[in-house]
Amino acid sequence: MQSLDIISINIWQIVVSLLNLVILFFIVKKVLFEPVKKMIAEREAMAQSIITEANETLDQAKEQKTLYDTKIAAAHDEADAIIKKAVARADHRSDVIIENAQEKADGILRQAKIDAELEQKKAEEGIRREIVDLSSVLTKKMLKREINEADHREMIDEFLQDIGEIS
Amino acid sequence: MQYKKAGTEFKLVDAMLVIMMIVPIVLAILMKVLFIPVGEGIEITGAHVYTVLNMPVSDLPISEAQVNSLAVLISILFLCLYMTHGIRAHVYTKRAVLAEWAVEKIEGLVKENMGDYFMGFAPFIGAILLLSAFSSLSSLVGLFAPTSDLNVVAGWAILVFILITYYKLKCGPWYYIKGFMEPIPLMLPMNIIGEIATPVSMTLRHYGNILSGTVISILLASALQAASNLVFGNLPGILGSFPFFRVGIPAVLSIYFDLFSGCLQAFIFSMLTMLYVSTSFPMEEYMRRKSLKEKNN
Repeated sequence: MQSLDIISINIWQIVVSLLNLVILFFIVKKVLFEPVKKMIAEREAMAQSIITEANETLDQAKEQKTLYDTKIAAAHDEADAIIKKAVARADHRSDVIIENAQEKADGILRQAKIDAELEQKKAEEGIRREIVDLSSVLTKKMLKREINEADHREMIDEFLQDIGEIS
Repeated sequence: MQYKKAGTEFKLVDAMLVIMMIVPIVLAILMKVLFIPVGEGIEITGAHVYTVLNMPVSDLPISEAQVNSLAVLISILFLCLYMTHGIRAHVYTKRAVLAEWAVEKIEGLVKENMGDYFMGFAPFIGAILLLSAFSSLSSLVGLFAPTSDLNVVAGWAILVFILITYYKLKCGPWYYIKGFMEPIPLMLPMNIIGEIATPVSMTLRHYGNILSGTVISILLASALQAASNLVFGNLPGILGSFPFFRVGIPAVLSIYFDLFSGCLQAFIFSMLTMLYVSTSFPMEEYMRRKSLKEKNN
C-alpha cells in the first residue's frame, strides 16, 4: 500500500474537496439553517400575535374605562340634580308648611283675641249686671221701699257709663 | 399549549440519525485498520492511498483524506438532521436550543464581519466551520485528519478565491482590471501575486498548522519511546519494553494540537473567508452603479 507525499498536489482531489464544501454548504443551509430560521420566525410570529392581542385587549379596556368614567360622571351629575331637586322641593314644602302654620297660628291668635274681647265684654256685662243688681238690692235695703226697678236700672247704667268714661 | 411526549417513532428516527452519524466514522476507522499495515518506527508521510481511479489530466488517488472527509461530510449531514429533527416553536429541547444558538452565533459573526449584504453567507461560513473543525477533530479518533492533506484545504481556499473574484467582478471586468493597477500601474505584478497569494496563504496556514500538530505528536511520541527505553530498558520482561513515558504525556499535548488548534484553525479560516470576501466587494461602487442603472430605467 503506497502513501502520498507530505506535499502532493492533485487537481482532482482539490476539485473533490471543493465540491464537498459546496455540497456541505447546501446541506447546512437546507438542513440546519432553514428549519432553525423557520422555527425562529414561527416563534416571533407567535410572540407578535400575543403582543397584538394584548394590545387590543388593553385598548378595549381603556375604551371601557373611559366609557365607565363618563357614565359615572353622568351618574354623579344626575344624583346631584336629584338631590338639588329634592332639597328645593323640601324647602318649598317646608316654606308652605311654615306659612300654613303661621296662618293657622295667626288665625288662632285672632280667634283668641276675639274670644278674649268677647269674654271681656261678657264679663263686663256680667259685672255690670251684678253691680246693678247689687246696687238695686242695696238701695232697696237702704230705702226699704219699693221703687221702680226699670228706673233704677236706667239711672245706674247712666252712672256706670259715667264711670266707664272716667276710667 | 399542548406538550406531547416523544413517540416511539420519533425516538426510532432519532436513534437512526445518531447511528448514521457514527457509522461513517466507524467505517473510516475500519478501513484504516483493515487496509493500512502498521508502520514500523517513525514515518511521516501523507495520506495512504486505498485505490487509484483513472481520470483525465491526472489520476485520482482515493486516499485516506478523501475517504475521511466524505465520512465527516456524511456525519455532519446526519448531525444537522439530528439537531433539527422535530424542531418546532414552543417546544424547547436541548438540541433545538443548541441548534438555534449555533445558527444565531454564526449569523451574528457574519453580520459583524461582513455586513447585512452578505447575510446569505451564514450557511457557507457554518459549513466551513463544521467541515474544518470536524475534519481536524477526526484525528482524535485515530483517523488521518483530512485537513492535514494539502489538496483538501486547497479546494476550500480555491472556492473562497472564486467567491472573492466573483464579488470583485460584480462591478464589471474593467473595474476589476483597474483594481490591479492601484495605486500606480507599476504595482500590477505585485497585485497579481498578492491576489494569488490569498488562497495559497489560506491553504498553507490551515494545512501547515494541522499537519505540524500531527508531526510534532509523532516526533514527541517517538522521543518519549526512546526516553522510556533508556530509563526503563533494564527492567526485566515486558516492563523493559513498555513505554511508560508515552502514557498520559502525549494526551496533554493532543489537547492543544488536535482539539485547540483544530477549532482555532477552523475559526481562522472562516474569519479570513469573511474578511477577504467582504473587503473584496466594492460596495459603494456597486451601489452607485445600481442606483445609476435604476435611474436610467
